Amino acid sequence: MSEPLLRARDLTKRFTVRGPFGRKAEFTAVDTVSFDLRLGETLAVVGESGSGKSTTARMVAKLMEPTGGTLEFEGRDVTRAKGAELAGFRNDVQVVFQDPFSSLNPRHTVERILLAPLIYQGIQPKGGKRALARELMERVGLDPDHSQRYPAQFSGGQAQRIGIARALAVDPKLVICDEAVSALDVSVRAQVIELLRRLQRESGFSYIFIAHDLAVVRQIAHRVAVMSEGRVVEQGPCEQIFTDPADPYTRTLLAAIPRIDPEWDRRRRAAG
Amino acid sequence: MSELLVVEGLTVTFPTTRGLVDVVKEVSFTVGRDETVGIVGESGSGKSMTSLAILGLLPRGAVTRGSIRLDGVELLGRTDREMRRVRGEQVSMIFQDPLSSLNPYYTVGLQIEEMYRAHRGGSRKAARKIVTEALTQVGIPEPERRASYYPHQFSGGQRQRIMIAMALVCSPALLIADEPTTALDVTVQAQILRLLAGLQRETGTGMVFVTHDLAVISTIAARVLVMRRGEQVEYGTAEQIFAEPRHEYTRMLLESIPRIDDEVAS
Repeated sequence: MSEPLLRARDLTKRFTVRGPFGRKAEFTAVDTVSFDLRLGETLAVVGESGSGKSTTARMVAKLMEPTGGTLEFEGRDVTRAKGAELAGFRNDVQVVFQDPFSSLNPRHTVERILLAPLIYQGIQPKGGKRALARELMERVGLDPDHSQRYPAQFSGGQAQRIGIARALAVDPKLVICDEAVSALDVSVRAQVIELLRRLQRESGFSYIFIAHDLAVVRQIAHRVAVMSEGRVVEQGPCEQIFTDPADPYTRTLLAAIPRIDPEWDRRRRAAG
Repeated sequence: MSELLVVEGLTVTFPTTRGLVDVVKEVSFTVGRDETVGIVGESGSGKSMTSLAILGLLPRGAVTRGSIRLDGVELLGRTDREMRRVRGEQVSMIFQDPLSSLNPYYTVGLQIEEMYRAHRGGSRKAARKIVTEALTQVGIPEPERRASYYPHQFSGGQRQRIMIAMALVCSPALLIADEPTTALDVTVQAQILRLLAGLQRETGTGMVFVTHDLAVISTIAARVLVMRRGEQVEYGTAEQIFAEPRHEYTRMLLESIPRIDDEVAS
């Protein structure tokens, strides 16, 4: 067995909340979450609101300090990484957020947005910046001639492609997608999921895919971790979670998904 | 049997800097008594504009043509004052975000009570009894005590239940639900859909259910209208739309839905 790319052990996040009369209380948002992620693998973390899935993603992206537990990246403990070590980690781990427009600077051109991670990392791209920006746009299916446009000139699906292209600029080993397709229309979402899968095939990086929509997860994940109230209630291979869920909460979650009458579906497919 | 709502050739036009834009074009459908009709489409399809037109709540400057008849009475061309009477008494609505539709400064009981008394009158004491009944009907536990709570003291799903209680307190003939479960978790969504379907059976209210989610619409609507860019793409029974879609766009939408049970079936 090869060394996992990422190893999370007992990740825990507690927040201090002030109750009535200024009384302090502790709230555990993430409770001893552990998982391994291999290079080229997609781990989906699913759960309902308040399950701790986004807090877990933020800790893994090192946008938030865990209260307890450890995070190892390529065999090195990065839980308290600072300075050059943290910069190196940031180079390898990129995040794509839910709302493309609020995570793209509206006053910057697409080219400037795409190259920003390189500037922060102090990297000079071979072949020049403009060429790299054009190449990134082509890889995510955008017209490279639009590199001087601003985010507002793109549709929601296109803007999300810009967010994805930006994540790829530094050639990461892990891309964390925090509800990255949740805000998109159904037809656009299908295209962006296909894009994410193609990019992984081409470049071999890993995804941590945070989502509340189990149907989407089934399209993209190799492994699934189901979270509820801060804990991972069940994790395993994607097929197993969907066809043979062990935990009662997973079963409740799967049963609650609205479905089109399978008989109608069969007839449509038979005709189509 | 006469239809409850008849929409014929509804067109909504907005003046923009680039001239007039039709956001809804020649849309026609009917809603029978105690029937649910789903309007489904992606963003910009005009589905919400259609529901706002029925409610007479279109933004200023919008021009409507065609006909919207409720119980045989034309709604288009009525004054704002007349439409205020129609809303709440004959037509009610629930939206996606209950928190922004509820006033944070007043208890939920008072808000439902005001809604009732504004349209039906009567004493506060009588109205309070109605409020308790309404909250019981939508499954809020301890309704007498909870009536004195403020909106922020409820969860998202409970707030949507309260909105439903408020919408139905005057026993309207037609309920317009615009993405009522979109902001909710999937398990809560299932509860709210069950609640709406159950209440509809009990009260016989006609419903227009607007959503982007085809799977949701397939579980609740008897007839479905598919819209794109303001146009009516297809209109038929749920069975026809989902089993025998006639239009290429409907087929594409259905193909785009990620399958949850695929591998299980094969």
